Amino acid sequence: MAGVLRVGLVLAVVLLAAALVTLVARSPLASSGAYISANPLSRYLDLRTLAAGLASGTPEAFLTLGAYVLIATPVARVVSGTYAFAAVGERRLAAITGAVLALLLLGLLVVGPLVR
Amino acid sequence: VELVVFALLLVLTGVFAGFVGSLTGLGGAVVALPVLVVAFGVPFPDAAGVGLLTILATSSTTGAAYVRDHLSDLRIGMFLEIATVPGALVGATATVFLVHARLDDALLVALGLILFGLVPGTIARGRQPTPTTPAPQDHVSRSLGLTGSYYDEARKERIPYAAAQTRPALGVAFLAGAVAGMFGIGGGVFKVLSLEQYLRLPMKVATATSNFMIGVTGAAGASVLLLAGFINPVLGAPVALGTVVGALGGSRLLPTLRNRTVRWLFVPVLLVLGAEVILRGVGWA
Repeated sequence: MAGVLRVGLVLAVVLLAAALVTLVARSPLASSGAYISANPLSRYLDLRTLAAGLASGTPEAFLTLGAYVLIATPVARVVSGTYAFAAVGERRLAAITGAVLALLLLGLLVVGPLVR
Repeated sequence: VELVVFALLLVLTGVFAGFVGSLTGLGGAVVALPVLVVAFGVPFPDAAGVGLLTILATSSTTGAAYVRDHLSDLRIGMFLEIATVPGALVGATATVFLVHARLDDALLVALGLILFGLVPGTIARGRQPTPTTPAPQDHVSRSLGLTGSYYDEARKERIPYAAAQTRPALGVAFLAGAVAGMFGIGGGVFKVLSLEQYLRLPMKVATATSNFMIGVTGAAGASVLLLAGFINPVLGAPVALGTVVGALGGSRLLPTLRNRTVRWLFVPVLLVLGAEVILRGVGWA
């Protein structure tokens, strides 16, 4: 499971660092106020817009993707945990870990869209 | 300020927050979030979103290191996540509704009170001796085999442990999740309370397991705040990147530090940030 965390973290760090450097290099002397008030992620919640932003090399799109990877990493860890406990015959712990995964999906697919 | 200066200051904030957060098991956000509100003027909901990205980065960084060092207990961590995840969903939903009702200031005052509330537990925790014999297990703990041992580098011996009172531990874990989802802080203090006071785990195992759990709780809260538009990666990226560097340093240092040193480092930080956030919430700052 440490491997899942490391891969996810490295990927997120590379995406976030590259996008941040590009964003700052594009307009280093711009006022920071605009970046506090405008949230690019709202624009990229739509996956097609995100894909288009990534294809055109927009740093805000890569920052959004990095945030997604950061959020997905612990979820991937729970998936690998469910498999690991099931593989060694720990049925009860596999069931508990599977329930945690179901709750995470409930948040993303039901609770989040409801309160949006 | 200029974007380049702003980004650098955010990275430095993240480095400090990640270092302190990983040493205490409270997650970097408990430092980063109030600093963002007070020093950078970031609105509360966006600061909470950055807080969640920060705790995700801290947890993945220190989680990998602690799992490698066999300090994290994956079985006990997964067991408590059954309560922290629903807690985080409830807490994040509450924040979305309160922000929409324009009660951001009330959330700030509540956050300040939570920071103050961490102080007594932080001081008391530093005074507790490390238990050297496992606590008596309850039925759930026995049936799930919630036991383990770890090598304490400061004491130069292997220390066995077992999870004790699982029901109250689950209740406190739910509270930890709710705080994490609501404020974007790791809720680590409640997790370590659950792990140390009820499950009776040694402090270093509790700290490492808490760090490991914080990521899953954070992901649950983030999934709600993300769709509500409260996660701004332009603010979150520099803080999260700084946190990774700080947390790596902290997780390397933790196994060699004495428990009391770790706790006393954190108390003045909590007091100052708690006061600042409350003053901001009541409109005096």
